[in-house]
Amino acid sequence: MTAPAPPRCRVNGRSVDLGDVPPGERLLDTLRWRLALKGTKEGCRTGSCGACTVLVDGKSALSCLTLTREIEGSAVTTIEGAPDDPEGARVRAAFEAVGALQCGYCTPGFVMALAGLLKERGRGGSFDELLEDLGGNLCRCTGYAAIVRAAASLRTEEAEP
Amino acid sequence: MTGPLRPDLAEKLAGAAGYGVDLDVPGMLWGALVLAPVAHGRLTGVDLAPARALPGVVAIGAEDLPRLLPGREGDRERPAFPTDTIVYRNQPVAAVAAPTLARAREAARAVTVHVEPLPAVVDVESRFPDWPGPEAAGRPEIAAHVRARHGDVEAAFRDAGTVVREIYRTASVHPVALEPHACVADVEGDRWHVRTSTQSPFGVREDVASILGLPESSIVVEGTWVGGGFGGKGASFVEPWALLLAKAAGRPVRLALTYREEFLLGRTTLPAVVRMETAVRDGRITARRVRLLLDVGTSLPGRDFTTGYSIGFLLGPYRTPVFEVEGYAVRTNKPPFGPHRAPFAPQCAFMVESHLEHVAREAGLDPLAFKADHLWQEGDTTPLGQPVLPFGLRTAFEAARGLAAEWRRSAPPGHGIGVGVGFWSTSTGAGGEARVTLTPEGIRIDQAERDIGSGSVLVGLAAVAERRSHLPRERIRVAYADTAHAPYDAGVFGSRTVGALGRAVDEALVEILGRLGARLAARGPVTLGVEDGEVVVRADGGSRPLRALVTPEEERAGGLTASGKHYGRSGVIDEHRVLDGTFYAYTDFTGAAHVAEVAVDRDTGSVRVVRYAAFHDVGTVIDPFTARAQVEGGVGMGIGTALTEEAIWSPEGRLVNPGLLDYRIPTLGEVPPIDVTFVEGFRGAGPFGAKGLGEPPIIPVPATIASAVRDAVGAHVTELPLNPERVTRALSRTNGTEQGP
Repeated sequence: MTAPAPPRCRVNGRSVDLGDVPPGERLLDTLRWRLALKGTKEGCRTGSCGACTVLVDGKSALSCLTLTREIEGSAVTTIEGAPDDPEGARVRAAFEAVGALQCGYCTPGFVMALAGLLKERGRGGSFDELLEDLGGNLCRCTGYAAIVRAAASLRTEEAEP
Repeated sequence: MTGPLRPDLAEKLAGAAGYGVDLDVPGMLWGALVLAPVAHGRLTGVDLAPARALPGVVAIGAEDLPRLLPGREGDRERPAFPTDTIVYRNQPVAAVAAPTLARAREAARAVTVHVEPLPAVVDVESRFPDWPGPEAAGRPEIAAHVRARHGDVEAAFRDAGTVVREIYRTASVHPVALEPHACVADVEGDRWHVRTSTQSPFGVREDVASILGLPESSIVVEGTWVGGGFGGKGASFVEPWALLLAKAAGRPVRLALTYREEFLLGRTTLPAVVRMETAVRDGRITARRVRLLLDVGTSLPGRDFTTGYSIGFLLGPYRTPVFEVEGYAVRTNKPPFGPHRAPFAPQCAFMVESHLEHVAREAGLDPLAFKADHLWQEGDTTPLGQPVLPFGLRTAFEAARGLAAEWRRSAPPGHGIGVGVGFWSTSTGAGGEARVTLTPEGIRIDQAERDIGSGSVLVGLAAVAERRSHLPRERIRVAYADTAHAPYDAGVFGSRTVGALGRAVDEALVEILGRLGARLAARGPVTLGVEDGEVVVRADGGSRPLRALVTPEEERAGGLTASGKHYGRSGVIDEHRVLDGTFYAYTDFTGAAHVAEVAVDRDTGSVRVVRYAAFHDVGTVIDPFTARAQVEGGVGMGIGTALTEEAIWSPEGRLVNPGLLDYRIPTLGEVPPIDVTFVEGFRGAGPFGAKGLGEPPIIPVPATIASAVRDAVGAHVTELPLNPERVTRALSRTNGTEQGP
């Protein structure tokens, strides 16, 4: 008889062994301190600020409220993996083109949240609805103006044939 | 410009920027703080033994200080840990470090703190229900007392046609930088080294030296990327505790606050009560009387500057021939007062703007015309007797007034249009030094600051160098170093970076260009350019490769180098008008006029900002992209001060809303599009006549929104924030007695 296969997930395309992860560990801590993926930011740890947003199987998720063991078998994309994700790459490029950041601390969360929304909605839904769904990500520097400009530029891009 | 809008975009978008919370060094321990359970009490013992019994745990308290710092004595007024008295709830009384964060938290919980509770003073109005009298000024709970006066105040009030008296109250606001305070400390021999997320590496060095009783020369502070500052990271916070833990453990220690601790220990701009009285005769302000009670928490006596500084903002940028002002900074059992983007100025602007609007209405005058008639212009004199320097506020105000009239024509019922102003002065008094090096590759600027997000360091300093030299921005690099290697700078605060540090950069660059000009015997200005991939020097219509002009000595030294310093001077006030305390003169005069359209729900009292415009006197725009971003960000933050943000303490001194769900900052949907217009030509104290822009954008926001709320539904709200509770209360008070729009 062989030992059961260790629990695994994929992070930015890489297979990760979760065997040593205690049941109560949050995905945020696994990413930052076990896998040294510090791009995902710790803010409130209570799901109020959105700084820790990552993609789990293409959907945006708050890594501070996600237990690592509950995403066994899933694929996680963080800001470090965003260039290899079609929507992640587009959002990053849009943020760069309009300069949609200041201190940059909320930026990884915003990029991943917006990438997740683009995947989820495709071309459907209004721009206002898209912005409403970004309400869970807080930014203290920009007054959100440049972030909205970045989101709007993606919208324009989509509208083009 | 061909390069990126900001040089930090790629690194931050890659998730590769290392902030204070990201620091991770081999062998480090994790720190945690033990917090006091009461707001005021006699500390009878701190039992660290249960923490020390846990494997790998180091625990320290006040009794360990002599052992950790032999022969050193820190500032007795702000010890690292209290020895006998707890002065605010959650004051750190001990610290622990452990191999894991979970173990550190467990150890912190295991510490027993023995305290005999004492009555706490939490609310300044309960402490002084009849307002402090003259005898209060010398009491220990008064951290500062200021008083100034000019002219025959009593006669002016006696002879006035209209006298309006009001009381205003403002709430405590927290900076809410999304990155909590975090550092990693390491002590080797006499070298106390800390890497930290800060707005001021040299300020942290100075604070640590004072708190621990160490010479500044043995402390090295190295800045990280900063996840937002807004004033909250302008002084030391977690660094002394981390350094003490590192010393005790003999290993590096990481100490980061949880977000809950950010609130519980956080330095906030605390509540205030202001009494305003204004006398008007024949449409003119003839006299004003302003009295301020400012809660400064456990700020130390003699270290409060806000009271004296804000008194000027409470009079506002208006011609006031006769006045009397008095302010008390009152100590309470709360954490020390801390700066929050233009400390207390948005609150002052809210109070003076709302009051003067009310005064005009009571006197039967058009509020905007009344304000326009009184706004300072160059050549006027401030109430404290300082001549007003070039000031574009009147120009900004007239533009705002015109736009408000336009918006009013299209505003639907239930909407209101408001106009508000704010003024400020670039704080260039604090010193800054920079070193500029020119090589055939380009310009390097060496200095002490990390960019805190505003772009003032990475974009602002480069833009100053670009403007002076004409060298393209992508050939200009802003470098930083720790306090052992960088030239001194006071910090990224007070809207001073471009104004003061930028002047230092400019001065150094002018010296280098002058040297090159002498070598070329140039008659006209000397500039730089790039030809065939190399820096060239241009003068009198010709150009020479820099390489051909550099001496062998300069080549060995790595380029042409010059240092610049800027220690600004501020103006002078008439000291005869000052009766007690310290008042401050302005370096320059900067200001803004804003316009808001709001929608107010009469039933719920909820306020939504529909659109917003800001007109800013900046002297000279140094970088249009970051200038606009500063205004948008400042307005966004100001909407929180105006509508939702309020740290609330229980009568026992417990912060009841230590989290982002209960202390609400604006979300994306709550900040409308913001039109930004700059007024140029009124020169300030910075390079090329620039004025500071970090703080001014937040200042007029609460005033502007309050004015719009009054315009919409007639509610005259005299307290911040204008949350539904306060708006409905004001509505029921004015219901039937006051006209709407």
